[in-house]
Formats: sequence, structure tokens, C-alpha cells
Amino acid sequence: MAAPSRLPLLQFCSTRVFLLRCTQGFHGEPVVREPAYPPVIPSRTAKSKSAKKRREEDYYNQVRAASLVQDKLRLLTRLQRKKYVVYPQTFTLNADRWYQHFTKTVFLPGLPGKCSVGRQVVDKENGKVPPAAGGVDPTVLDENTFSELRSLVGNGILQENFYLKKRRPFLQKEQEHFVAPFLSNLVSSVTSSLAKYNPLLKMSSLDFNPEVSFYWMRGERTVPRGHRRGRVDPIRFQINDQPHCQIRVPEQLEEFLPLQESVSAEVPVVHFEPNRLPMFQRQYDNNIFIGSKVTDPCSYGHTQFHLVHDRFKRGRLIKGNLADQVEVRLRANAIASLFAWTGAQAMYQGFWSHEDLTRPFVSQAVVTDGQYFSFFCYQLNTLALTVQTDQDNPRKNICWGTESMRLYEQVKDGEVVGLNDDVLKLLVNFLLNKPQKM
Amino acid sequence: MVIDLKCACLYLSRYPLYQLGNPQLRIFRTNFFMTLVKPGKEQPPDTVQFRIPMEMTKCDIKNYLEKIYSVPVGAVRTRIQYCTNKKRNHLNQRVKRPDYKVAYVQLVQQQTFQFPEIFPQKDTALEPGSVEEMQDQFMQDEQQRQKADPRRGGVTEWFGL
Repeated sequence: MAAPSRLPLLQFCSTRVFLLRCTQGFHGEPVVREPAYPPVIPSRTAKSKSAKKRREEDYYNQVRAASLVQDKLRLLTRLQRKKYVVYPQTFTLNADRWYQHFTKTVFLPGLPGKCSVGRQVVDKENGKVPPAAGGVDPTVLDENTFSELRSLVGNGILQENFYLKKRRPFLQKEQEHFVAPFLSNLVSSVTSSLAKYNPLLKMSSLDFNPEVSFYWMRGERTVPRGHRRGRVDPIRFQINDQPHCQIRVPEQLEEFLPLQESVSAEVPVVHFEPNRLPMFQRQYDNNIFIGSKVTDPCSYGHTQFHLVHDRFKRGRLIKGNLADQVEVRLRANAIASLFAWTGAQAMYQGFWSHEDLTRPFVSQAVVTDGQYFSFFCYQLNTLALTVQTDQDNPRKNICWGTESMRLYEQVKDGEVVGLNDDVLKLLVNFLLNKPQKM
Repeated sequence: MVIDLKCACLYLSRYPLYQLGNPQLRIFRTNFFMTLVKPGKEQPPDTVQFRIPMEMTKCDIKNYLEKIYSVPVGAVRTRIQYCTNKKRNHLNQRVKRPDYKVAYVQLVQQQTFQFPEIFPQKDTALEPGSVEEMQDQFMQDEQQRQKADPRRGGVTEWFGL
């Protein structure tokens, strides 16, 4: 084309541009590009239900994406709101049904086959005959050790009740005065003598007066009054428990029942609000703690020992027309404490309500008031207790437990009368529990 | 103030202070009266609700029910309901509605109690062929005639032809 003579300056400085401009006019292949629109998702900040859902989804994704367990726990427990405080040792009536409802637990009387007295260890190669029911397995524990344990226990009882000269304790301090030192003595001595039979106990950690706490949400309610009126809120619970002592181990115990197996018993459903139990609400720090921090190597639980407080002793309950509540309260104590402990252990491994457990968590507990002992086993199968996650969740947590059994009848003239061997055997079985591969 | 233990008018006196060695305090023919009421909010089946005089305590309630009515009591909880002082009468004076104490008593051994229906709901089914039934039918037809055409979608008859 004829270059115009009116543009001499352009010719010198921008010939290349001129050429480029010319080439664009040529006919060539049209460049086909797909229109790239951003995804159509609801807003984050609008006052709408879809925006609220999006904010919740973003929060859950944030928790899932957190790499460290401490960050996950911090994100889940950061927001403080009014929550119901669950006390494992409670004065309320029929608390075990309510606690089963709050923790989605099924209670099965008796102990699972593994832990019951007369634990059968059949050696398939040698074809050994299992021991008679009611006996301790002779391949694991021989008579000498058992009689040693008996004398240890008897000495412990006599030490507190007979040998030591003690002043009369002040009101409602009898348990602390007489039974607490006996229990510490019992646990430490029996554990150390059984350590040679159970290598897990050699690597375990025995804590005295540890703090166990757990925070979870179950069910929903509409806020009736206040500036948040009308909003649907989950009902929050917190347990702050102080067992007398507990054993934490670095390896997890084996499950009693496979995770997918369903139990025929039903979880009791209570349609009333928790404040009718009565249970009271408070707002404070949301804690999740097993007794040691997240980085501790012993992050799984083995056995807890609970001491019944003076207020809830047998004698007082029978005097107050509440004889049937004795067992109920022991069960409530075990369910609440063990749920808190196993739940906290699971959260330490990174599971939470939207990332449910892939393996069950198992722990044991012994609740005692000095003379009567009851044994409980707990298997945590699910942490998904919120309304959203519970809709298609067939799994239930399971608690096994015994009635309370007397360890000894009385202490008379420097002798322990009526020392019950079955209780000791159960205790030994509990402490000898270890994963199969060890 | 002399406290006559036989006819204890407990509204005007405190209980005598107990010191070690005193005999057991016994009260015959109390002045307390408890009223069983229907709970306003849904209560668990083993809970019974009472309105009690302000001076009664939890121990009093327990002893009252056990000794006089032989009803074993598990647990008692009380609260005081404050009633309004805001209402005014025709002379613009504030009128206080009296406060009252409420007790929630939990029964033992899984016993339950359901407050009975004192005013049962009556089925208002009119006899066919009676005068009331014809009148009722006539009123319903009148109301149907007075209603506007639903096809107009709530628009009044002012607009239109």
C-alpha cells in the first residue's frame, strides 16, 4: 500500500509497529479461546443461608487442611459459648441414661470376653487346655505371683486402716484420708509387679491426679432470648475430670468389637433439654486434654482409677432413699470419664466430628470407694455426634461394666477378713491387657 | 420470742439453733401447705411440681412428704418466682403480684407422675339435623359468599370495571 507522505516522523521511530499493525489485518486462523469464568459459588459475607453454609464449609475445610494436631484443636475450641458442664460424679438422679444419650453410648452389662475372669488363651500349636473359668491363666501368671499380689493388697489395706495411727478426719474427708493413699499404693505396687508379664506397662506412664477434659457438640436448639435469638445453635458439652490415677501407654489397646459390627442394644433417647437433669451452663475455656500434651509419646490410654467422693458414698445414698442409684452413679461416672478420655485420645490423633474414626479407641476404668470395686471397658467407635454428621451414622460407642464387688469384708484385729480373689483376678486381667503383637 | 413447738407458727419465727446435745427438734401440726401444680414447661416423668410457702426449705419438703404422706423423696430443688411490681391500679399506685416459691420433687425407684387433665377437651360435634348445625352451616356459607374472588389475587374491587 502507498505510504502516506504526511507522516515522516512515524517512518523513523515506529516502522516495526507500523509493520505489525499491517500484518494484523491479514486473514488467518481465528484463535479460539474458551471463556474462563470464575466458579459460581454463593457469597461469603451476604446475609443469606447459602452464605452461612459457605462460611461453615470454609471453616471445615480450614480445619481439615490444618497439618498439626495442635492447630486443629485450637480451631475447634477457639470459639467460646455457653456450654453444659458434665460432671462424671454427679448428684443427679438417673444420670446414666442422660449421659448415654449425650455420648451416644450403649451400655452392656458384664465385660467383653477378653477381659472377663477366666480369660482363655488357647495355644493352637500345642493344643493347651484353657484354664477353668474363674482362674487366672497359668501360662501368664503363676500362683506365687498371685499370692504375692494378695499380700501386697492386704498390706495396703492394713497400712491405711490399722498400722498407721491417724487422726479423725474432718467432715467428708474420709475417702481422701483413708482410701486415696491405699489406692495409690495398690496401683503402683500391682503395676510394678505385673510389669514383667506385660511389656506395655514398662513403657507406660502412671499419672496421679491428672486432668482429663473433653469438649463436644451434640444436638441442636434454637436460642430463645438474647441478641442471638432465633438462631439454631448446637448444644455444647464439656467434661473436666480428675481421676485418682491413670496409666497412659505409647501403643493402642486392641478393640473389643470390630468397628463395623452393630450391637443389638439401643442408645436411650431423652427428649428433654439437658437443664432438666439438672445440668448447668457456663462459658469458659474449651479444653481437650488426656493428661499430657499432644507431643507426649504415651498418647493412648490404658486404665483409669476413679475414687468415689464422700458425698456419693454408699451409706449416704442408702440413707437418702437412693439405694438403686448406687450402681447408676458408678455407670454414669465410667461412661462420662471414659468417653472424655477416649474422645480426647482420638482428637489427639487428628480425628474430629467431620473426620470420623478409622479405628476404634479403647480404654478401661476401675471405679472404687475403697471396699467396692467395679470394672468398666469402653470402646469409642464414633466422634460424629453433631446433627449434621449423625444423620447416616450407624456406629455407636459401647461401654461394658460390672456391678460393684467387695474386695474385702472388714479389717479385724490386724487381719483383712474375706479378701475376694475374683476382684483381684479381674484387676490383674485389666492390667495385663496389651495389644496382640506385643 | 417463745416458740411453741406444738403448734408451730413457723411464719413468724426461725427454727431454734441446734447445739450439740440438744434433743431432736420435732414439729407437730405444721402451718405449711403445699400445692401440686401442673408444670408450665415439660418436666421429666419422675418430677412433681409444687407451689410452697416462702419459708419452707428443701429439708422441710422432704420431711413433709415422707412423714405426712409417706411418699419417699429422692431429690428436691427449689426456686423463687419473682412476680411483677409494675402493674398500676386506677389510682396509679404500683400493685405487687405476690412472689411464690416452686419446688421440683424427684421420686425414687423410677416412679412416675403425670399431672391429670382437669379440663378435658370436648369434641364439638353438632348433631346432624339440629338447629345449631343448620345455623353453623348458614354462617359458613355467608362467610364464603363475602370472600373475594381468589382469582383476583388479593386485589380489591376498587380497581377494575
